[in-house]
Amino acid sequence: MEIEKFSYDNRYTRNFAIATFVWSLVGMLVGLIAALQLLIPELNFIEQATFGRLRPLHTNAVIFAFVGNGIFMGVYYSLQRLCKTRMWSDTLSAIHFWGWQLIIVAAAVTLVFGFTSGKEYAELEWPIDVAITIVWVVFGINIFGTILTRRERHLYVAIWFYIATWITVAMLHIVNSMAIPVNILKSYSMYAGVQDALVQWWYGHNAVAFFLTTPYLGLMYYFLPKAAGRPVYSYRLSIIHFWALIFLYIWAGPHHLLYTALPDWAQSLGTVFSVMLLAPSWGGMINGLLTLRGAWDKVRDDVVLKFYVVAITAYGMATFEGPLLSIKSVNAISHYTDWTIAHVHVGALGWNGFLTFGILFWLIPKLFQTELYSRKLANIHFWLGTLGILFYVVPLYWAALAQWSMLRQFTPEGILKYPNFIETVTAIMPMYYLRAFGGSLYLIGACFGVWNLIKTAKQGKFLANEDAEAPALPKTYETHSNEHWHRWIERKPIQLLLLSFIVVGIGGVIEFVPTFLVQSNIPTIASVKPYTPLELQGRDLYIRDGCYVCHSQMIRPFRAEVARYGDYSKAGEFVYDYPFQWGSKRTGPDIAREGGKYPDSWHYNHMDDPRTMSPGSIMPPYPFMLENDLDISTTESKIRAMQILGVPYPKGYEKIANQDLEKQAKKIQANLKKDGIETSEKKEIIAMIAYLQRLGTDLKPNETPTK
Amino acid sequence: MFSFIKKYATTISGIDLYPSISLVIFVTLFVAMFLFVIKANKKYIQELENIPFHD
Repeated sequence: MEIEKFSYDNRYTRNFAIATFVWSLVGMLVGLIAALQLLIPELNFIEQATFGRLRPLHTNAVIFAFVGNGIFMGVYYSLQRLCKTRMWSDTLSAIHFWGWQLIIVAAAVTLVFGFTSGKEYAELEWPIDVAITIVWVVFGINIFGTILTRRERHLYVAIWFYIATWITVAMLHIVNSMAIPVNILKSYSMYAGVQDALVQWWYGHNAVAFFLTTPYLGLMYYFLPKAAGRPVYSYRLSIIHFWALIFLYIWAGPHHLLYTALPDWAQSLGTVFSVMLLAPSWGGMINGLLTLRGAWDKVRDDVVLKFYVVAITAYGMATFEGPLLSIKSVNAISHYTDWTIAHVHVGALGWNGFLTFGILFWLIPKLFQTELYSRKLANIHFWLGTLGILFYVVPLYWAALAQWSMLRQFTPEGILKYPNFIETVTAIMPMYYLRAFGGSLYLIGACFGVWNLIKTAKQGKFLANEDAEAPALPKTYETHSNEHWHRWIERKPIQLLLLSFIVVGIGGVIEFVPTFLVQSNIPTIASVKPYTPLELQGRDLYIRDGCYVCHSQMIRPFRAEVARYGDYSKAGEFVYDYPFQWGSKRTGPDIAREGGKYPDSWHYNHMDDPRTMSPGSIMPPYPFMLENDLDISTTESKIRAMQILGVPYPKGYEKIANQDLEKQAKKIQANLKKDGIETSEKKEIIAMIAYLQRLGTDLKPNETPTK
Repeated sequence: MFSFIKKYATTISGIDLYPSISLVIFVTLFVAMFLFVIKANKKYIQELENIPFHD
């Protein structure tokens, strides 16, 4: 058989590796700043760096910049070697690399300047969404080109995970990002209310599944055996792991919406599949850990394996916790509290963070043909990181339980024991201090890690093209007489792609079709009316400043919540909410029925400085809303976009909408004047007040503002 | 376009059959996968799990 000579491309593996550790520091630093802002609200001193804008920047940077580049680094290294061929096109590699970095920069800039779609983990506006789609397709062509020109007949299990990741992320991104553009940097989600919530959390959950998990499992199945010097514990188990995981994951999204206005059957579906997920997840974890059987002595010496062990353990913990949190009674505690924040950080800091750094410590010396600069430094990084994770998550579990129990306590007379939400926040502040401390430890550890990697690179010599040789793949494949059907799939990447797509597609279709089609699932409420133009503008300010990051608009049917916030939320209340704003975390109280609770002047003063109206509040001040003029040139295009989406504004209303807007603004201005506040009716705060006073009032139209 | 699809799909009769179809697909897939995993011969599995070490 003829032996072919070729070379592996290490340049883009290196580039993605550099991007990975650079963005890891940026993402963590932004997270730390956001954590400090909760302790010291004065740190929200400029409009562009308020908590509501930094938190989406933090999540996007960690998920798509840090982990995203980590995925590409690992795929570009392992795929070439598993396929025994060079990446299909150096040009596509370059476009992929630079395109992705440009997207990250564009994301960072637009998010801090308030351009956001208001959908968690999918905040980026439509031009960036289009760019992501293009770059993702480039990545897909490059990996499939590589797979199709491979010199190894069989596709190793890691490649299956890469393929499933690629196709599912493409599907999720496209379906969830569907929007009607208003202008170049503003769009409205094509779905409203309950439907938007279902699509969003189908996406949100599977962003965790197919961006933070499946590609990293692929990396685990390659880099762990390489570092341990032995094959994976059970290849059979990895096959079950793969199919069971991708099949079950796609259904689990509705567990983010338990006890909300989502139809009951969809909630149950989410719970059942989430609980079942424990089996494949733990199968994968056990497979990872048992790969080290008989090699545990190596773990003591090899810092790379240490990182892997903690990463896989964190994966096991997070995937045990996930099904637990999907059980309704547990979810009642965790949803809207810091439990969720702790849970995701076990995953992000432990699983993704430690697996990435483990890979980097193994890979950089290989690429630069040298040894790791300092094992001692890597050990310090390891311990700082491990302690950092503990100091981060344990206080937050405590905070969640403490706050939850305070929020639901009643006095013997049957009234709320802590009627003021702020009391429950003040009580958990010490935990927030500890969390910031834990985050700092982790970040300092990562700085040591990056320094170690830079020193390693400097002492070595980079090998851009690594020579390799392998026999060419025979054109025809001799089938064994007893060949099994599964072999037909795993030799054929396209079949694998299609089958993965069918498997993940089914879950989406079964969940969406009934919610979108069966009208009885979302009973309409006659008194629910579209937003007035001023309220719509105010709502967009609410989205711009990321208010949904800390305030939910979804009252669950619990005694304590109904007593605190008002009647529980109904599906029909949200039919004009493009996008929905239910939120996922209550750092502040729910505001689904905020309208009419306080006079306009309260909101004016509260937005200027929350602590004047609510001592001890940790909400950022928004004095700029009192200064900035509202841009009403967009009203017409916004109303028109809403009409396209099916909101029943009268025909031609978009032309005269600004007249109504000004009328309503003057009324609010007059209200403020009565309370001694002189302001122009053109300011942003007027629209904000209009929106806040509207919230939840559709169901109690006769109530007037009271003190 | 969206409302167009919605209008027609709402009237699909027997849309409640969907969950049953999914159950059948689900069970079939898993039974087939388990059968494969159990029946696959050892030499073949060994060949696959050693692919990462061939470079």
